[in-house]
Amino acid sequence: MTIPSDPKQVKQICFDRIHIPNLTKLSVARENGAYAFLPTVLKEFDAGKIIDEVKTSGLRGRGGAGFPTGLKWSFVPRNTGKPTYLLCNADEGEPGTFKDRDIMRFDPHLLIEGMIMAGFALDVQDAYIYIRGEFLYETNVMHAAIEEAYEANLLGDNILGSGFSMHLTVHRGAGAYICGEETALIESLEGKPGRPRFKPPFPAVEGFYRCPTVVNNVETLATIPAILEHGGDWHAQIGEPNNTGCKIFSVSGHVNKPGNYEVPMGTSLRTLIEDYCGGLQHGSVPKVIIPGGSSTPWLLAEHYDAPLTYDGMIKAGSMLGSGAIIVMDETADLIAVTRRLAHFYAHESCGQCTPCREGTGWLERIMNRVEAGQGREEDMQVLNEAAAHMAGRTICALADGAAAPILSLLKHFPEEVRARLVENVA
Amino acid sequence: MTTLYINEEEITVSAGTSILEACRSHGVDVPYFCYHPELSVAANCRMCLVEVEGWNKPAASCCTPVAEGMKIHTQTEAIKKDRQMVMEYLLINHPLDCPVCDEGGDCRLQDYAVAHGASHSRYVEAKRAATNHDLGPFVTTYMTRCIHCTRCVRFADEVAGTGDMGILNRSDHMSIAGIVEEACESELSGNLADICPVGALLDKPSHDVSRPWEMTHHQSTCTQCPNGCDINIESRGDEVMRIKPVEGSPEPWLCDRGRYVYDAFRSDNRILEPEVRQDGELLQATWDEAFDRAGDLLRGKRVGIIFSPYWSAEGLASIRLMRDAVFPDAKVAFDLHRRDMRPFAFEEGFSMTTQQIEDVEHVVILGSDLRQRLPLLMQRLRKRGNMGKPVSRIGAMNYRTNMSISSDAIIRPRDWPAVIARAMQQVSDLGQTAAGMDTWLAAVPDRHEAGKVLADSLMGETCALLVGEEIRSHVDAAALIHGLDLLMRACGHAEEGNDGRNLIPEGMNAQLLASAFGDIRTSAGDLFASASAGELDALVLIGSDPVGDGLFPSAAKAALSKVPLIQIGAIAGEIGNSAEVQLPAAAYSEVDGTFINMEGRIRVARQPIRSIGQARPLWKVMMRLAQALGADVPAVDMTELRDRMAAFAPELADVWKDKATEEVLVPVARNRDAEALPARLDSSFDLDVVSRYSMYREGMWARASDLLLAAGKLHALNDVIMHPETLAAKGLKEGEHTVRTFLGEHSCHIGVREDVSPGVLFVAKRGVAGDLSDVTAASIVGGQS
Repeated sequence: MTIPSDPKQVKQICFDRIHIPNLTKLSVARENGAYAFLPTVLKEFDAGKIIDEVKTSGLRGRGGAGFPTGLKWSFVPRNTGKPTYLLCNADEGEPGTFKDRDIMRFDPHLLIEGMIMAGFALDVQDAYIYIRGEFLYETNVMHAAIEEAYEANLLGDNILGSGFSMHLTVHRGAGAYICGEETALIESLEGKPGRPRFKPPFPAVEGFYRCPTVVNNVETLATIPAILEHGGDWHAQIGEPNNTGCKIFSVSGHVNKPGNYEVPMGTSLRTLIEDYCGGLQHGSVPKVIIPGGSSTPWLLAEHYDAPLTYDGMIKAGSMLGSGAIIVMDETADLIAVTRRLAHFYAHESCGQCTPCREGTGWLERIMNRVEAGQGREEDMQVLNEAAAHMAGRTICALADGAAAPILSLLKHFPEEVRARLVENVA
Repeated sequence: MTTLYINEEEITVSAGTSILEACRSHGVDVPYFCYHPELSVAANCRMCLVEVEGWNKPAASCCTPVAEGMKIHTQTEAIKKDRQMVMEYLLINHPLDCPVCDEGGDCRLQDYAVAHGASHSRYVEAKRAATNHDLGPFVTTYMTRCIHCTRCVRFADEVAGTGDMGILNRSDHMSIAGIVEEACESELSGNLADICPVGALLDKPSHDVSRPWEMTHHQSTCTQCPNGCDINIESRGDEVMRIKPVEGSPEPWLCDRGRYVYDAFRSDNRILEPEVRQDGELLQATWDEAFDRAGDLLRGKRVGIIFSPYWSAEGLASIRLMRDAVFPDAKVAFDLHRRDMRPFAFEEGFSMTTQQIEDVEHVVILGSDLRQRLPLLMQRLRKRGNMGKPVSRIGAMNYRTNMSISSDAIIRPRDWPAVIARAMQQVSDLGQTAAGMDTWLAAVPDRHEAGKVLADSLMGETCALLVGEEIRSHVDAAALIHGLDLLMRACGHAEEGNDGRNLIPEGMNAQLLASAFGDIRTSAGDLFASASAGELDALVLIGSDPVGDGLFPSAAKAALSKVPLIQIGAIAGEIGNSAEVQLPAAAYSEVDGTFINMEGRIRVARQPIRSIGQARPLWKVMMRLAQALGADVPAVDMTELRDRMAAFAPELADVWKDKATEEVLVPVARNRDAEALPARLDSSFDLDVVSRYSMYREGMWARASDLLLAAGKLHALNDVIMHPETLAAKGLKEGEHTVRTFLGEHSCHIGVREDVSPGVLFVAKRGVAGDLSDVTAASIVGGQS
């Protein structure tokens, strides 16, 4: 890899070579460092060392929850007599997120290499990429890349003569947002409807077909090769303590240059938006920033200088999530935005848990009325209570995500809602 | 063990218990919908939220295991508000039609709405409606009322094993559906209405008929199969409205046969008053007239008595007392499926409890359609299967079990000796043997590979052998059972405390029947033969219908054309057409009585429903009959009767004296010296005949029940079936064929199915195939042999 070995110089990890044309071809990828360090890992590393390096690196899950990756791997029980599975979560369904897509379509071998290393550490024989159904192009790219990797003995039996064997299969989802939740993903991969499982047991102990399973995000796995090549310490010095490394942010909304930007952790929202994204379309400060995908609470202009770290976003009252930053300037109709998000969550609720199944639809129907100028004062209280009592009361976090926009709207912009109520519409 | 605090109170439960179970076992009320103690946890209703100190959000108590020192609160203001909100969410789309809903008054949702809900809903948007589904003859649906707890789905998957319920769609379009219309074919389908916590799945036969609060509850015992489930008979006045399991009991399931037979209690087929045949017609008579007539027909005569095992123990004992008083030489029969009356090494009844059978290492089913015969034992085996414990099976047909059988084999009944011999060989090659095994083995020249299934299952520490009707009704049953007994002894499964020998009995009370009638019993077939041969002057049938049931319908018909019939019982049935005298006896729902099930478990019913018509408990009819025939009345009241009975089963006396029924099991009879060697069976017929027991049509009660008959039609197989290759080998195809048996030739439609063992003519619906029930072997006329 061509990433600087001086951590201070590192600007990008996953996107380091992404600008190179035809990187999807194995030969081009190899010319640019792909799989260069893999033989060393397979030969000289063992599971303990890999997991220690990843622990040292401070890498946290890039899918949204930010759980320390090395710790997750260390929870996998060994010698259970059952196979261990590695599942790559490439479902990328969170509204606003489109980062994994770029890794897969431009640098599929980075992901494959990361999965081989992770699989080696976890003694995995069968790994799967659960890819979002809409990503047909990316699926085709992954298929072609995997085929080339098999031909080059980078996958399959006895990889590069190391004695380690791992098979990798791409499985397309069928369009359900909830299948990005790891246990719903497992259910779906097992051929069942995607409905999250309650925990415990956690997938690390009982996951895919009730066997030990690790589910990692694409970006997380794509970071592994760099960590193993340069060492956990190297990675730990990038970014900020407890929030190490680089992170890809998918910036969308009212900015002049929306897109994916990988920056070291700790970069401020303002820097990202002003310096990288060419600033806002209207006005000097944003009205609302949703920092981690539509499921995270909204931030306001006052948080413009907050650092983009897991901890920084929590301190600001939200979450880093998957790094999907949706920026809204003063022209945004927040009620329309919230109504649309309410529709999304009502549509995507799996229907298992009472509060989410019934609550998301209720919220949507009230928001429909509010947007149409048919809301009443009492609706605001109902919205507030119905949203607040969904969050944290269900098997998975979809209800929390559904509640977040409603609660943010009512918390920060009650007057905008009030102005739209039937009493106040002429 | 884990110690934790619930509402400040310290409790200790076993590790891994869920918070909800910990609360339930300590009397702390936590509301729930989707949780069910006998089903897997779904954790979807979110009604059981509790607060755990130090947690930042409420926990669903059903799926959260307890942890050491955990501090749980179930009654905080926050939790009350959460419950109120869950109720509000649930009621968003629930129609408030409680006044016309069968569940109203007996509804979890309604109760919780009162206990935990707000007084009104703030929901003002449109409500959702859902499509109803046809879930078979016993379940009616109002899916708009569904709260999506998925209990029914889990029931179908885990208990019924049919997996024919599922979830369609998601979000608030989610709906529960039968996978295919009318396809709910579980014999346990009636339980769906019980487990539904709301009025979405309702009992079809009792739909829109009564309200829960009108019911009087009578605890009783179901006598429809040897399992003898505890039942709660719900009546309005004297009319039985429905039968339900006893609430709160473990394994609270009933099979459709036991549950829906109740319409027979009121059927036109009931014998409601004494009747006497005059000029060819049965006419109502007084008790005195009827007893006079019975006296004329029976006094001083040679009499054969055939009765059903399903009477209460008191009723059965009174038959013996009556017989001893007035017909001291009479033989009796109570088993319509036993051809071989030699004593069995292990007699009818179980040496294990159902729980033990669920727990043992191996279970082997030998020759039984267990799902039809003992649906709830089958359910327990399915539960075993779900836990990964093996169940093996050998039989003439690949009977449907709705579980995955670990190893099985299909064989002809004539192969049984070779199967057992093959198992003995394997066991003895491993050095395990029992006295007499060599002799038995030497008597059988052949070995059948299916024996490996049996022998493999015997290798563990514990094994339950479930011996079914194919063996019990075998002409050489005593030899087969002796062989099995030797095998079990050789493998150490016949010892005190580890006895796996279970012979599925004809009906209830098998242990009492063995002790009270062992010395005077004979085969029903022999009684009919004697009657036909002029050696008997009359037949007394007490609740038994040998024409409709069992293996001797032709013999019974022949006998009844020769001698007069006195019929005593609750149901007249078809056989009533030949009765000279009919005397009404009360149904099992209508008596104070004691019942013993196959395990030897005793139940005493003490709250009978008032009997209808002039029906009297059987024991009173028997005593009066003895009196009418000039004998001293053997017992004048229940106390005296029970005193006399203690001689047959001392365990019963303990229970009547208020010993807890859980502490008593009536043991099964053993005949250690019952040695029988397999005989060489020479048959001029090339096909073995096996007839199937159908839970929807076997027994007088079932045939008097329109509900069961209707269900039986849905679950019918072709009447007579064979393996396609057996038929093809004769150059024949499915269709109308002439079958030759020792009774002559008759024509029937023969269908094909690969589930039937080659070389077997399988009578799927007994009775319909008429005379084929009597025979054990047959040939097809025509074709090549």
